[in-house]
Amino acid sequence: MPGLNFDNYQRNQYLASKGFSQAKATSTGTTIVGCKFQNGVVIAADTRATAGDIVADKNCEKLHRLAPRIWCAGAGTAADTEMVTQLIASNLELHSLYENRKPRVITAMTLLKQHLFKYQGHLGAYLIVAGTDPTGAHLTSVQAHGSTDVGEYLSLGSGSLAAMAVLETNWKPDMTREEAMQLCSDAILLGIWNDLGSGSNVDLCVMEIGKDANLYRNYMTPNVRIAKERSYKFARGTTAVLQTSVRDLLDVEETVIPFGQKDSDAMEIEA
Amino acid sequence: MNSIAKQYTQGNVNPVSREINDAMAELATPPQLGLAPTLQLPPISQPTDFLRAHTDDATNPDCKIKIAHGTTTLAFRFQGGIIVAVDSRATAGNWIASQTVNKVIRINPKLLGTMAGGAADCQYWETWLGSQCRLYELRNKERISVAAASKILSNLVYEYKGMGLSMGTMICGVTKKEGPTIFYVDSDGTRLKGDLFCVGSGQTFAYGVLDSDYKWDLTVEEALYLGKRSILAATHRDAYSGGSINLYHVSEEGWEYHGNYNVGDIFWDIKAKEHSFVNVET
Amino acid sequence: MSRTTVASEYSAEIQSTPIEHRFNPYSDNGGTVLGIAGKDFAVLAGDTRHVTGYNINSRYEPRVFDVGDNIVMTANGFAADGKALIDRFKNQIKWYKFNNGGKKLEMQSAARYIQQLLYGKRFFPYYVSTLIAGLDEEGRGAVYSYDPVGSYEREQCRAGGAAASLIMPFLDNQVNFKNQFIPGTDGKEKRPFEYLSLQEVIELVKDAFNSAAERHIHVGDGLEILIVTKDGVRTEYSPLKRD
Repeated sequence: MPGLNFDNYQRNQYLASKGFSQAKATSTGTTIVGCKFQNGVVIAADTRATAGDIVADKNCEKLHRLAPRIWCAGAGTAADTEMVTQLIASNLELHSLYENRKPRVITAMTLLKQHLFKYQGHLGAYLIVAGTDPTGAHLTSVQAHGSTDVGEYLSLGSGSLAAMAVLETNWKPDMTREEAMQLCSDAILLGIWNDLGSGSNVDLCVMEIGKDANLYRNYMTPNVRIAKERSYKFARGTTAVLQTSVRDLLDVEETVIPFGQKDSDAMEIEA
Repeated sequence: MNSIAKQYTQGNVNPVSREINDAMAELATPPQLGLAPTLQLPPISQPTDFLRAHTDDATNPDCKIKIAHGTTTLAFRFQGGIIVAVDSRATAGNWIASQTVNKVIRINPKLLGTMAGGAADCQYWETWLGSQCRLYELRNKERISVAAASKILSNLVYEYKGMGLSMGTMICGVTKKEGPTIFYVDSDGTRLKGDLFCVGSGQTFAYGVLDSDYKWDLTVEEALYLGKRSILAATHRDAYSGGSINLYHVSEEGWEYHGNYNVGDIFWDIKAKEHSFVNVET
Repeated sequence: MSRTTVASEYSAEIQSTPIEHRFNPYSDNGGTVLGIAGKDFAVLAGDTRHVTGYNINSRYEPRVFDVGDNIVMTANGFAADGKALIDRFKNQIKWYKFNNGGKKLEMQSAARYIQQLLYGKRFFPYYVSTLIAGLDEEGRGAVYSYDPVGSYEREQCRAGGAAASLIMPFLDNQVNFKNQFIPGTDGKEKRPFEYLSLQEVIELVKDAFNSAAERHIHVGDGLEILIVTKDGVRTEYSPLKRD
């Protein structure tokens, strides 16, 4: 059977009811936004990944490529956004090869929503899908349960309220590329500062009609760690050596015997 | 009419002086009605359920307030008096809260109490027991017996039975009429006199060593070593015990402290000396 | 009877215990605190972030207080309980002075009294980890730490609150030199304890908090260090990351 494996679902529910703690997926805390402009669309994301209260990754990538000119920003369960994105990227590629057409944003979005709906929200992927295709620039979002939205500007994730505050105040129709980049990064920054689930840097991707997409990895780095006050270099020998064992190295020699070259006449069977 | 009203109203209605009076009342020692001081309760119908839901990490691992637990303590009687040995680790859930806890409470120069279970419960009620014992001395012009002291504690915890106190303690001491005596008292209200007890999460490991080498005729030196060795075995196998060992000897003259031994250090010394713990690689 | 579709969110189904609707007077306001005792000084530091869930309520809400008599105190965890405890203690110091001709409350007496305050609510605990710092009767630095119901101990150093589990191992290693040996002794001789200078301690505290702010979402914004010496209490503030 293709698809996800639910073999251990009942067992895990049973264990959970007995008080065994369940494995916690790295997730949710995120701010992602997207916004259209005159000649294209911009998406942006923060780079913090959390596991509970702990920052699991300070500089993760939340911008995924679905097709060369269709990108998506993911919030929710990290593994789900990653895998769903990769799967749909493959299917999108196959589809475009089959149809001999450039992939379209609406196709990507439809594949995603059909896949996510099938799993009834168990795949915790919340995505902002954006890109350019022969029909123009598009910006949509997909929720874990399979519902979708289309908009001029969108935000998702735990920092979506903070980001939307910026989008609602500063958005205007027909922005320039630079204005849109500014707006998106400002929205993410507000998420970074005011939402504890978001933090570190801003990643940004600009997709302009008729041009290659531009990924600006770490477009802004407002959270560089300051230098430590002290040096924590230990003097050699501070850690006790409990055991030493020395092993002789085994020399493995490999000899390649040339075959069928110059003096291969000797091997000739047919005389 | 006025006189009746007066009887039931407070004389001073000035808010400032009432505040002062209230504060003074809070400061003043409450009258010794029962044995216990007043402990505040949550304003709900089932305070015990409330407490369990918020503090019992055994039934609810996600509970917010984790109260320090986990211990190995032992005390035994022998020809030369009493040996008391304890570990020093405090755990809150899986977190080692401290490796330097003092689990022997010096009630007075001839009385010791050990701590197992809730750290605060033991610390608080055993120091409280200390003051009760001192009051007894002042009132009766003689030192309290171990039996009486342990009974004060067991009566106290029995008043709180079912409320969630958690303590397993040994009251060890020596008096003229009793000689060296050990009483085991726990929060269920159990109170037992005996020659040998191990209490806490590592008790079984300690019993294993203690029972196999224990005899009445042990010399003081042998007995101290056996106490130390038993706790060491417990710290080795019980994850909730560890840190260091505190050793005491109680004799006719009262208790005497025999030092603090870091188990991380003495383990290797004892292993080398005894050729024991052979399953552990050096 | 009409029923709406039951949302089948991942988190809702994994719930190990049923969602309870009952008296829950506790919440967690994050933050971390740290106390270190030196030879003739003591410091108590805390970050100034006040949170609930993913929201920051305040970027500067002092956590560590000078309660008088050269004692500094913090009660970290549920902020309302912490505030109640500290206010109650401050008040009692005031009354102690009124009733004893302005006598100084010694560190060990303060420590014992706080145990009484905490244990007084044994069956309705203050959801806090409490620390006090000051100088003992001989003028040496002292830090006392408490569990939520009042078990306490005098220590060289202690971290409490959200990032305690991140900071405490660092402190064990850098203040008490745990797991450090004298080079050349082949692990036979432990590095002996020695007091750090005030300067070194402050550097350690800053590094501890900067690191905690990197990895714990409830720590950040600002660091306030209260330093107790025989000359009184001094405060130092330095910014922390705000993301």
